[in-house]
Amino acid sequence: MAITFQPSSYSGLVDRDNGMVSREIFVNSDIYAEEQERIFTRAWLFVGHESQVSKPGDFFVSSMGEESVILCRDRQGEIHVFLNSCMHRGMKVCRYDEGNTPIFTCPYHGWSFATDGALVGVPFYKDAYHEELDKSQWGLIRVPRMVNYKGGIWATWDANAPDFLEYIGGFRTYLDILFDGWDGSEGGTEIIGGIEKWMVPSNWKFPAENFIGDRYHNISHRSVDLVGIGPSGQGRRDNSEREGAKSLDVSFPERGHGTVMFLRPEDAQPVPSYQNDPIVSEYFYQCEIARKERQGQLWRILAGPGTIFPNMSYLPRQPRSIAVWHPRGPDQTEVWRWFLVDASAPPEVKEFLRQYYIRYSGPAGLTEQDDMENWNYAHAASRGAMARRYDYNYQMGMGYAVTDFEDGGLKLDGTVLDTTKARAGEQNQRGFYSRWREFMAARDWDGLATWRNNGSAC
Amino acid sequence: MADIVNLFEVEPGQKVGLYSGATAEVVSNPRDGVWLFVRYLTSPDDPDQVGEEDMVFAQDVLELMTD
Repeated sequence: MAITFQPSSYSGLVDRDNGMVSREIFVNSDIYAEEQERIFTRAWLFVGHESQVSKPGDFFVSSMGEESVILCRDRQGEIHVFLNSCMHRGMKVCRYDEGNTPIFTCPYHGWSFATDGALVGVPFYKDAYHEELDKSQWGLIRVPRMVNYKGGIWATWDANAPDFLEYIGGFRTYLDILFDGWDGSEGGTEIIGGIEKWMVPSNWKFPAENFIGDRYHNISHRSVDLVGIGPSGQGRRDNSEREGAKSLDVSFPERGHGTVMFLRPEDAQPVPSYQNDPIVSEYFYQCEIARKERQGQLWRILAGPGTIFPNMSYLPRQPRSIAVWHPRGPDQTEVWRWFLVDASAPPEVKEFLRQYYIRYSGPAGLTEQDDMENWNYAHAASRGAMARRYDYNYQMGMGYAVTDFEDGGLKLDGTVLDTTKARAGEQNQRGFYSRWREFMAARDWDGLATWRNNGSAC
Repeated sequence: MADIVNLFEVEPGQKVGLYSGATAEVVSNPRDGVWLFVRYLTSPDDPDQVGEEDMVFAQDVLELMTD
């Protein structure tokens, strides 16, 4: 069945006031095609990490939406992001995942491009083109906006998009926890190991909404908690720091980002973690002490998983990782998972974390398998002619969030839902889909930057 | 006719003869099988090229030269 949607239709598909979302937005191929145009050409997207291209000539092939892009460092040391498509006939000029090269050569007709994107080699340039082709006009297409924020490389195809930090807004507090050293020092993280990549037969929004704050699905991971793959031998991660903490869901609906977090009591002190290894445990204990001293009240934030709209999710701590949900059709998502460590951490710590990351994440990790089962079958069971007539329910916790959260002198930006007693809520997902609706309906960034007018989410 | 030159096996410092009649020394090889970075040694058609560095396309390479 093919239903064509107009921008005005999207308000009916995401009913924010009643907490309902149509299954069509997950399974309809027309909507999916519109997403590529309206979301993935306009939003800031995570491309990679600077530590992946540390030397001149280093490259890493990534994706922005469906499109292949090259992240590379040129001979002068500058980082670029290019569309991985030859300007002559569109062939991919780089078909490797990563490496080091002086030039990118198209295998079709041989046009070649320097690492700064300039067209430098044109076969038969003298005889066939009579030296009349203006090479300066035919370099690789580069993203108009790119930023290196604490090592994370982000890009957007929209020259009129707001600056990255404006796009992130108050969510910066949580992004910093991901990219700063664990002792609270500025930046200082690096990618460890390779990038895990695998396909999930599900729409890209399923994992994005899962990571934005779905505490409700904790039951899915009960088996892995029983196994005890965590770094202290219990559960799937350390929970001792959460003692006495408040559980909070934080949403920035005007931007679409959200996270879950735990707010430690004012008098909380660092406690041992990573207890399977004394060196690792001591390393993180000392980091916690240093971070508490640096950050004061902010140290109380024990961040959990989050999503930066549209498709970058992360876990800030255990396992400290970035996931990007690359859309590959309405029914298919290519998942990429990066893993972060403190660049200055001792080798024993990095190796301990590498082992933990492997047993937690990815298609062979014990935790991710639980999620994939859910996303796969939920998606498949939502595609049918009958199934897609019925909305998903996102009503949990509606009406209980506040915008002026304060605890012991610590004020939090965003819309905060206290789930300490409730244990779960769905305001973050409502914020995500509210923003999705805006992206699908708005003509340009004048209409999308609603916060500039103190506007609400929609 | 000379055998087709396998560009993957060409090393910096080797000399190549080109269909244009020019000769050049290989400066570096990106090992893409398509291009060589060279410095012209002789260039009968365009003497100004001598000493210049350039990229040479595989189909313009006639032969590997021996000293």
